[in-house]
Amino acid sequence: MSEFHDDYPSYETMYNHDEAYGKKARRTLWNVFWIMLAITVFELIIGSMAPSHGWSGTLGLKVLFIGLTVVKAAAIVIWFMHLGHETKFFKYTILLPYITFILYAIFIILVEGIYSGQPGNFTRVDKIFIEQQQELKKGHDGAVSTTEAAHGDEHSSEHH
Amino acid sequence: MAHTAEFDAKAAWDGGQSPFRISYGKMMMWFFLVSDALTFGGLLVSYGFIRHKYADVWPKAENVFTHFPFIEQHLPLAYVGLMTFILIMSSVTMVLAVEAGHRMDRRGVTVWMFWTIVGGATFVGSQAWEWYHFIVGTHTGGPEGHGGAWRNVWDPATHAYIRQVYNGATMAVNEYGVPQFANYFFFITGFHGFHVFSGVIINLVIFLNVLKGTYEKRGHYEMIEKVGLYWHFVDLVWVFVFTFFYLL
Repeated sequence: MSEFHDDYPSYETMYNHDEAYGKKARRTLWNVFWIMLAITVFELIIGSMAPSHGWSGTLGLKVLFIGLTVVKAAAIVIWFMHLGHETKFFKYTILLPYITFILYAIFIILVEGIYSGQPGNFTRVDKIFIEQQQELKKGHDGAVSTTEAAHGDEHSSEHH
Repeated sequence: MAHTAEFDAKAAWDGGQSPFRISYGKMMMWFFLVSDALTFGGLLVSYGFIRHKYADVWPKAENVFTHFPFIEQHLPLAYVGLMTFILIMSSVTMVLAVEAGHRMDRRGVTVWMFWTIVGGATFVGSQAWEWYHFIVGTHTGGPEGHGGAWRNVWDPATHAYIRQVYNGATMAVNEYGVPQFANYFFFITGFHGFHVFSGVIINLVIFLNVLKGTYEKRGHYEMIEKVGLYWHFVDLVWVFVFTFFYLL
């Protein structure tokens, strides 16, 4: 280290290891990869099966996907980013503030977000878009039903 | 872990050494990643809110992302699955480069860094391809017969507004569903894609340094670890974007 420091241990080389240890480490990393790959393939299979089985948007599916995502994220952070090797205090320094803030953000959006769905809290533009989409869901089957004059110019989202 | 065996956690707080047993650069990379993760967290939370608000009219991803290069078939989510695989794969090659660095194995670091860069560049290219198809849209104006959008265009000949089916996507209107869908798609995948792009550039710089032997001279390959942290973070974010944008 430089002359500005005390006699620090050299943290840069602290994790260096020999070939025997490296072999073990590599095996762990590949195992983590195979597990993550299996999870991703599983998610895609479930995701492509969901519409025909009526699973789309069910709570069970959401919980499953979010759970598997958290598992994958934990695997990346612990093994790929080596947070599992750091000291206990450093782990908490990284994880606690983040988890606290994100839980708070989810909490506040769930609590305050309910007002946006109440009748009367839709802005004018929201109504128009929802009406437009529902109309299209009903009547739009690829045909160009274009030249019929539309009501009201406030719908226009034309900026070109 | 064998690594931290001779470490007295209590004595470390008396000074003279880092209680975290970590170098300054690596610690600061972690702190940066926490702040960056909060940005992505904020984006995804607000995405969840808007999506929930428009739950009735929010398009299903498996109806939107059905294209695959060179194959004229509807393959829902196949390409994004492949992209995810490429990114996870490049994360593995990155961590193998870090591991090779711990053994001072210059050749190993070179090889694995090279494949990481290839994987990252492939991912960015795939992202661009996906954006292109999202923006151009489908011929029918809307995925598989439902969805779609129209806009009102002033026709000077008849002095009236004419309804026009809209193909593809802009920030203002898209054929798939509410405008917010395209907005969040552009913003979240764009923000992530830009992170990947910067990551590829940073990896490239470090790769050149490895070729030059900078870290061999320095006596340690910690720089690989630092860029590795950033690269894994990019992968980490994609895991969440993949789930919340494409799967749910």
